Amino acid sequence: MIDSRNPMKNRVAIAGASTTGFQARNTGRSQTSLAAEACVRVMRQCGLQASDIDGICGSWPNAATMQSTLGIPAITWSGNPVIPIVDHIAVAAAAVHSGLCNTVLVYHAAYRLPWNTASSLKDPFRRIATPGLTDPRPGPESMASSTGYTGWAARYIHEYKVPKEHFGLVAINDRSNAALNPAAAMQDPMTMDDYLSARMIRWPLSLLDMDVPVDGGDAFIVTTAERAKDMPLPPVLIQAAALGQVRHNEEDQTTSLRCHGQQVVVEALKAKSDFWIEDIDVYFPYDGFTPIALNWIENAGWCGPGEAGSFLEANWDQARARILIDGRIPVNSHGGSLSEGGTQASGHIREAVHQLQGLAGERQVPHARRALVTAGGFFFNAQGLILHRT
Amino acid sequence: MMQKKVGDDELVALFPGEPITHDNAEHYRGRLRRELLVNRCDNCGSWHQPPKPICPECWSTSITPTPVDGAGTIFMAIFLHQGPLADGVDYSTPYPVVTVDLTSQPGVRFTSTVVGSPNEDITIGAPVVLDWTTRGAVPFPVFRLDTKDRAL
Repeated sequence: MIDSRNPMKNRVAIAGASTTGFQARNTGRSQTSLAAEACVRVMRQCGLQASDIDGICGSWPNAATMQSTLGIPAITWSGNPVIPIVDHIAVAAAAVHSGLCNTVLVYHAAYRLPWNTASSLKDPFRRIATPGLTDPRPGPESMASSTGYTGWAARYIHEYKVPKEHFGLVAINDRSNAALNPAAAMQDPMTMDDYLSARMIRWPLSLLDMDVPVDGGDAFIVTTAERAKDMPLPPVLIQAAALGQVRHNEEDQTTSLRCHGQQVVVEALKAKSDFWIEDIDVYFPYDGFTPIALNWIENAGWCGPGEAGSFLEANWDQARARILIDGRIPVNSHGGSLSEGGTQASGHIREAVHQLQGLAGERQVPHARRALVTAGGFFFNAQGLILHRT
Repeated sequence: MMQKKVGDDELVALFPGEPITHDNAEHYRGRLRRELLVNRCDNCGSWHQPPKPICPECWSTSITPTPVDGAGTIFMAIFLHQGPLADGVDYSTPYPVVTVDLTSQPGVRFTSTVVGSPNEDITIGAPVVLDWTTRGAVPFPVFRLDTKDRAL
């Protein structure tokens, strides 16, 4: 079923990516306001008018709200996919390639919500913006949603007999990288002692294993490779994208750490692209929870099952307390979900685009040409994206 | 054993917050009788969980929610230091949540808590049996460590 067919390969580009930056506090702004700011920034960056956009793709607010907010006169396609954001980029690219539209504005606003921060619960506007908040809820006896990653973190430790420090390397790497990213929410240095002494939330995961709720937005322009050439920034070509999923995709029914959506993503990307990990310059494994990143690193083929922590130790840049694979490939160079902010992977994709366009500031990898993003978790949202610049 | 079937409105009222649907309502009715029901296909005999309207193996729509003994082995074990408000749950002692491989229904797991044991004994691989407590006004399926194997 997985094959090399990929007629879209290199035919669609990300022409630009912009962000508002992220803050781990309630900004006093709506999600629409944050998304709109990111959208205006990316349209200006790419030299586009509202009338140049004929496709809109995002989750919150919906595309209709975004269109009316930005005064985009007419569109021929819109999409409201679910997170993480490789989904948005992939369907936007498919819409462009198929001719449903020519130039898509893709946006994502991360927003602190009452169910994950106490201060958001005190904000009446955020309560109104979260329908169903006061409805009765199921009890705690569930592995559904984010709790599922805790369950599989326990499995990971049990099966591979690894110390919690292996998870901590992911968190410390993110924090060290975020220090050089002006858009990042969390920039104070983090030591292993800081990591290990963090407040336990759901054993075995503590506060610093979990992405940081933030306010902020990212936006992208997705268009044909030909159109992107006429825009101000170097086009970043979409080589391959995949949304992988297996049958047993409920959190507590998933077969094993070696049989879930990530393996499908890796197999599909390898089949559909011209290069793989040995040829990339920057890598973005999703890190909404620390064990997700370890599992991606293993599944991508950098090392064997259970070996990611040891692999990171062996590829650790002591001077800057970060991962540098083979002495050259940074991992989540923007600080990831754990320190830039929980962006559901829009930050990972934006940073990949910026690295390939030479816009990554102090984080810039010299002459970066190829990026791999492996977004999402294990169950129903594993995704991958290969980007490159010619 | 003749009992009046609990109506849909009453069922929803008895299980506030539970995501009851046409596909899983019988499971919840089973709980009222202290029966743990898991869907079994009448055509091919395979089990599945959570309840689905069609057999994922053979696509038969003839499915019977079937009582199971609930004995199994802990596959995942976590301990909540905070979590949703729930009757009888106090997070001052971290609250165990376990996913259990059901021994007699291969490939099927059920998630609940473990009662009657200190947290340090609740570990992956431990054998458990089904028991029942009460949540709100209704019976609630839980696990208890299977002590008869612990002499080993």
